[in-house]
Amino acid sequence: MQDISKNSSQLYRITYEAYSKFANKISRCATLTEVGEVAKTHLKYLFNFHIIRITIAQEEGHIFFSLTKDAVDFDFNGEARLLTHEEELYEKEIPIHTTNIPEGWLERNLDASTIVEPELWGWLFNNHGRKVSVTLISDKIKNFGVGDLEILKLAIDCFETKFHEISLARLLDKKNQSLSEALNLIQVKNDEIQNIVNNQKEIIKQRTSEILEKNKKLLHISALNAHNIREPLSRIQGLIGLFPHFNNEEIRSEIIPKIETSAEEMDQVLQEVILMATKELEFLKQEIE
Amino acid sequence: MTSVILVDDQPITNFITKKLLQIEGITIPISDFTNPAKALELLLEQKGEDDMVILDLNMPEMSGWDFMDRLIENQYTPRIVILTSSTSDMDREKALDYSFVKDYIIKPLNQNKISELCTKHCK
Repeated sequence: MQDISKNSSQLYRITYEAYSKFANKISRCATLTEVGEVAKTHLKYLFNFHIIRITIAQEEGHIFFSLTKDAVDFDFNGEARLLTHEEELYEKEIPIHTTNIPEGWLERNLDASTIVEPELWGWLFNNHGRKVSVTLISDKIKNFGVGDLEILKLAIDCFETKFHEISLARLLDKKNQSLSEALNLIQVKNDEIQNIVNNQKEIIKQRTSEILEKNKKLLHISALNAHNIREPLSRIQGLIGLFPHFNNEEIRSEIIPKIETSAEEMDQVLQEVILMATKELEFLKQEIE
Repeated sequence: MTSVILVDDQPITNFITKKLLQIEGITIPISDFTNPAKALELLLEQKGEDDMVILDLNMPEMSGWDFMDRLIENQYTPRIVILTSSTSDMDREKALDYSFVKDYIIKPLNQNKISELCTKHCK
């Protein structure tokens, strides 16, 4: 049987088939956990690594995604701390290939006793204006070579696109949440305003009703007063109208006393009307004040 | 017309009306009441066929409206002439609801008004 590793074209096809599968699966992921699962399963068929760590520069801070054989770690809240060599990558953008591994970092991510002569590879890629740092740990057993760089770039491109999509989705969620909160606040304020408007309407209705009732009473009082004043006045006028039909003695003895009585009654009624009007005016004045 | 009945709580008004009717030449009996209840009692007792009642509207014991309602209740509706000091249109319109109200006069009563009244209803 032919050794596949010596047949470059066949190896190329197999690699790209593996990549195609990886890219297809990644594109369907909706969460970082799903991305991690796909990466754990498929990335090993594309190139060798013990650890691959990706950081992407954001407007504020960085996000990171880290993968070992068994574990996936990520932080998309922009709070990830860069390793020293990553800061250097962002600053100088010069690829790194070294055996000088950051102290403690390797041990924190995998069992150091399982790797032989580890090497650190580091690159800074610029994907559509977005800076992406990639750190890869390989060793004698899981060897990474410059020839793997092309497929690594494709894989990183895939990761970066998906991470960007997830970041945008998260951002959209946050915006939606803010909008929902604002909408709720508007609804609450709207309800408050509506309550105030309803209260005002109720007060206006009540006051209108009071005014109508008051007007009705005033109209009644006015009609009653007019009648009460006119009654003795009309008697006086009637009595005066009788003058031509009575002689002086009859006028003095019969008509004048009746006029006097009616005049006194009219005076009494007028005093009552004036008193009532004064009281009403004072009441209105108090209400205005 | 066989008799005239004056109903007004003010005796002076009844005095004026009575004098003016006499001056106008009315010779039929004229009776006057300051208490409408008593006038009603007499009217319902006699139920004269051709009586005329000159009626005030605002009276403390019984209003002119109540007076007329009681007449209707007793199925006796003599000719009524309302004589009132009220200038309210509402009262005038309400009076139209009573078919046996033949005239509506606003006080003060004077010779001209009485002459007109007698021309229409007495002669």
